[in-house]
Amino acid sequence: MTDNSTQAAKATADQVEVELLAKREKIYPRAVTGAFARLRVLAVWTLLGLYYGVPWLNWDGQQAVLFDLPDRRFYLFGITFWPQDFFYMASLLIIAALALFFFTALAGRLWCGYSCPQTVWTEVFLWIERKIEGDRPRQIRLDKAPWTAHKILLKGSKHLIWLLFSLFTGLTFVGYFSPIRELAVHVATFSLGPWESFWILFYGFATYGNAGWLREQVCLYMCPYARFQSAMLDKDTLIISYDAKRGEPRGPRRRGEDYKAKGLGDCINCQMCVQVCPTGIDIRDGLQYECIGCAACIDICDQVMEKMGYPKGLIRYTTENALEGKPAHLLRPRVVIYGLLLLGLTGALVYSIMTRIPLDVDVMRDRNALYRETDEGMVENIYTVKVMNKDSKAHRFHLAVSGLEGARLIAQTAEFRIASGEAVDLPVRVEVDPAELRRTSSEVDFEVAAEDGPELRRVEKARFLGPVSR
Amino acid sequence: MAEPGSETDIPRIQKCVAVFWPSFLTAGIATILFFAVFDPKEMLGCAGLPGLSRIGAYSIGFFFFWVVSSGSCALALYFAKPCPSLRRREGHDGPAS
Repeated sequence: MTDNSTQAAKATADQVEVELLAKREKIYPRAVTGAFARLRVLAVWTLLGLYYGVPWLNWDGQQAVLFDLPDRRFYLFGITFWPQDFFYMASLLIIAALALFFFTALAGRLWCGYSCPQTVWTEVFLWIERKIEGDRPRQIRLDKAPWTAHKILLKGSKHLIWLLFSLFTGLTFVGYFSPIRELAVHVATFSLGPWESFWILFYGFATYGNAGWLREQVCLYMCPYARFQSAMLDKDTLIISYDAKRGEPRGPRRRGEDYKAKGLGDCINCQMCVQVCPTGIDIRDGLQYECIGCAACIDICDQVMEKMGYPKGLIRYTTENALEGKPAHLLRPRVVIYGLLLLGLTGALVYSIMTRIPLDVDVMRDRNALYRETDEGMVENIYTVKVMNKDSKAHRFHLAVSGLEGARLIAQTAEFRIASGEAVDLPVRVEVDPAELRRTSSEVDFEVAAEDGPELRRVEKARFLGPVSR
Repeated sequence: MAEPGSETDIPRIQKCVAVFWPSFLTAGIATILFFAVFDPKEMLGCAGLPGLSRIGAYSIGFFFFWVVSSGSCALALYFAKPCPSLRRREGHDGPAS
């Protein structure tokens, strides 16, 4: 490379690298309507409705969904999860991963196009932008125009609404960790704590930056899913594809003309599929890393085909095998196995949570001696019974022993009250007439039962040791 | 990654993402694991900052982890650059003997 060409290359590189987000021109996705667009809008309303609505729900006098970090408790509609319940969180993560594999093997990047928070929030921000700045041609014109008062007004109000919406999003996010009704009161009376304020601003700013400025760049550069999706796709996965056999060679034509005689395919090269694409690719080049599977190109192409009087589906969800003319296998071993595992694990998790007893009982036998003989000649074992109340309310509990003939429980008190989240250690003794002992090691059951809830009881087995009667 | 400014170099935004995004994720995990074991209230007494709340300790801890792992990511990015080629330098300076 000579010095001249190196210098020239550096000069153009400098121009390109002037802005942080340069190297790509700003993408103006054209608004699109259609079946898949309606599905996406439904997903946006449902998911955002849940996100903004759930923290305001109450259950049993407190917030229904609350992740209390300092106290290390997660509240979920009347169920309290403790750090000991971390197993449920781990199961949830495994189920989420399986769901990802299942849906990706079935139909590619469904998560990205319809439910990913980045997609959902960017759609709302784009909608706000469209309402203020106008549709695609007007946005492009506005960006090229000089900075008049009108442009300042439009851009200013867009960013203002974006920022307000972002702050509300930040408030809601913090509201999952700190009761949202109190937060709202604090905001209204300007008495927010410093850390609450910080995290509302931080998360609000993150929403504004990701959905307002970065948009598709998050999908391209930050998302790991985009990178390993190819490992989960196969020739029978439904992906958004352009039917090149039908469409090529592409080219414009006059109305009513016999285009097939002219050697043209169905694609009229209107470039609409490129204009509606939020990542700015041309789907006719084949499935690409940048494609987030939003199906906007399908919607717009179907509309154009309808206007031309051609059959729909020039761009459609189809499989690589189907495009090559091979038989399609949507329900294949990989899909079936993922699906069954998913169903099984989800069912097991739900069942496990529903039948969960919020009471922990541990019986520890005193190991200092095998057994003890009392003054009356009874055989005695010493235990420590640890009881933890994992329920959200306090309860009175009753301790009893069973399962061993003639066993008697000796405790300071067999009735005790435990507050929510508290545990007590009870030193107790169990004594048995040696004449009733059949074995050196017998099984004895300790039962802890709540007085106000018959289902809140646990039975723990322990060993009772003693001499064998002659 | 190639010479800065050449066509094969990754975009600047991707470099920023490479430094700040993986470090964000790692900092989140580190914060969860660290504070699951160590209670800030007990540590702050020793450190002489008894006035800080738990949330404050979690927040500062998270940002501390983020800064540290950002440094690590930045160094990783720097050392991932191809080493300056010796053969190209020989063209200018003549072969080393």
